Amino acid sequence: MVPFSVTLKRLWQLAVGGQFLTELLDSAKLFTTGFVLALIVGAPLGLLFARVRALRIGVEPYIMILYATPMVALIPFILSLMGFGFGPKVLVVFLFTVFPVLYNTVEGARSIKPELIEVAKSYRSSEWALWREVMLPYTLPYMMTGVRQAIGRALVGMIAAEFFLSSSGLGKLIMEASQDFDTAGVFASIFVIGVIGVGLTRVGLMIEQHFARWRQ
Amino acid sequence: MAEQVLSSTPAQAPAKPKAVVRKESTLLPRLLTGIVILGAWEIVVRMFAPRYVAKPTGIVIAIPSVITDPKFLTALGQTVGAVAEGLAVTIVLGTIIGLAMGRSPGFDRTIRVYINAFNALPMIIVLPLFSLWFGYSTHARIATIIFAAIFAITMNVADGARAVPREYLEVARSFRSAKMRTLFDIVLPASMPYLLAGFRLAAGRALIGAVVAEFFLSIGGLGFYILYNSRSYHHNEAFVGVLLLAAFGVGFEVLVQWSTRRFMPWYRRGER
Repeated sequence: MVPFSVTLKRLWQLAVGGQFLTELLDSAKLFTTGFVLALIVGAPLGLLFARVRALRIGVEPYIMILYATPMVALIPFILSLMGFGFGPKVLVVFLFTVFPVLYNTVEGARSIKPELIEVAKSYRSSEWALWREVMLPYTLPYMMTGVRQAIGRALVGMIAAEFFLSSSGLGKLIMEASQDFDTAGVFASIFVIGVIGVGLTRVGLMIEQHFARWRQ
Repeated sequence: MAEQVLSSTPAQAPAKPKAVVRKESTLLPRLLTGIVILGAWEIVVRMFAPRYVAKPTGIVIAIPSVITDPKFLTALGQTVGAVAEGLAVTIVLGTIIGLAMGRSPGFDRTIRVYINAFNALPMIIVLPLFSLWFGYSTHARIATIIFAAIFAITMNVADGARAVPREYLEVARSFRSAKMRTLFDIVLPASMPYLLAGFRLAAGRALIGAVVAEFFLSIGGLGFYILYNSRSYHHNEAFVGVLLLAAFGVGFEVLVQWSTRRFMPWYRRGER
């Protein structure tokens, strides 16, 4: 253990030295790339599964299984197949993130009342308009629940990728501090990641609540 | 998700034959999808990937030798034992803290910020710290499991204890029930569904915590088994371990759903 004052001092040193900023940006790049990819893939796929009933029934159990699988267990495979680049790390964040989004989107889209779609159809709505005017607005609140869950998971994925694949970003900062028995450095890094975690969770909750008003 | 399943389950017995019919109509597309997924995996690996990469046929062939391998069984026992031990500690500690938070606004105001902050922390971040404190040992693994799981339980029990209907507490007070008895005989059972929801989250996280700890600390267990075998290019064998982990994840999910339905049938009513 180290006194809090030493931790603060170390935090100040790391911040002033510019090391924090570099590593933070590095981590942010990884987080954002993986997260955005997961959204781009997960959300439309979720809507598609919801629209095509046979497809939804078919894939549902598998999505559930993958949602409940601890994705960290796949890291060794990714490591030995893809090596140490930026790509495999993005894949890890993506895998951690995509299933909450997918799961909640499907879950939301299947709760769309059939009458809504029937009415849209009787007014000869085109498929595109149906997606845009009925499915997307109806599903968005659920999707955002997925996004909120995904934020937490993406953070875990980011750190796991930085620990176990090529060491980089905030994960590297902690690892190095721990290898040097620099407990103050470890605490300082954990503190920073904690602040980021709380901040992102807040943002996630805000997004979710903003869209929750749409929920019926 | 639990909510969806709970509320869609018919309560009366006569609904049974109906459920069977529905099952048949969903079974075929599910099987087909499964075959398509596995087939695509097999083909892609056979065509593009190196020989050692895990593929469905390889995994199936590996299953018998893996599950009879004493090394695998020891690893399984170690991980399951650690998760069970960690979860046991977590449930007791987490429930006590959660109950205290739920019933004492002052205590809640004092520590809620910190519990929230810890809950938002990506739990694996503590591994380097725990490896310094506890060494590269099984203690560090237990500590990681507890840390990963406890906040989910605490938060849920606190919410549950706060949501206890006021009439219950008023009746208890009218009969001059002692504070402790009210807590354990009324508040605790009433917040049981929340505890179970928390347990579902916590169990998943405990599993992840255990696996990550084994990766990081290189101590024996299922996670290490996976790591070791994938490093020595035995991907098929390693993947059997992943399947087992997935089975645990799903198993916890099913267990919680089942026990909510079985032991707390009244909970369905307040669900929506």
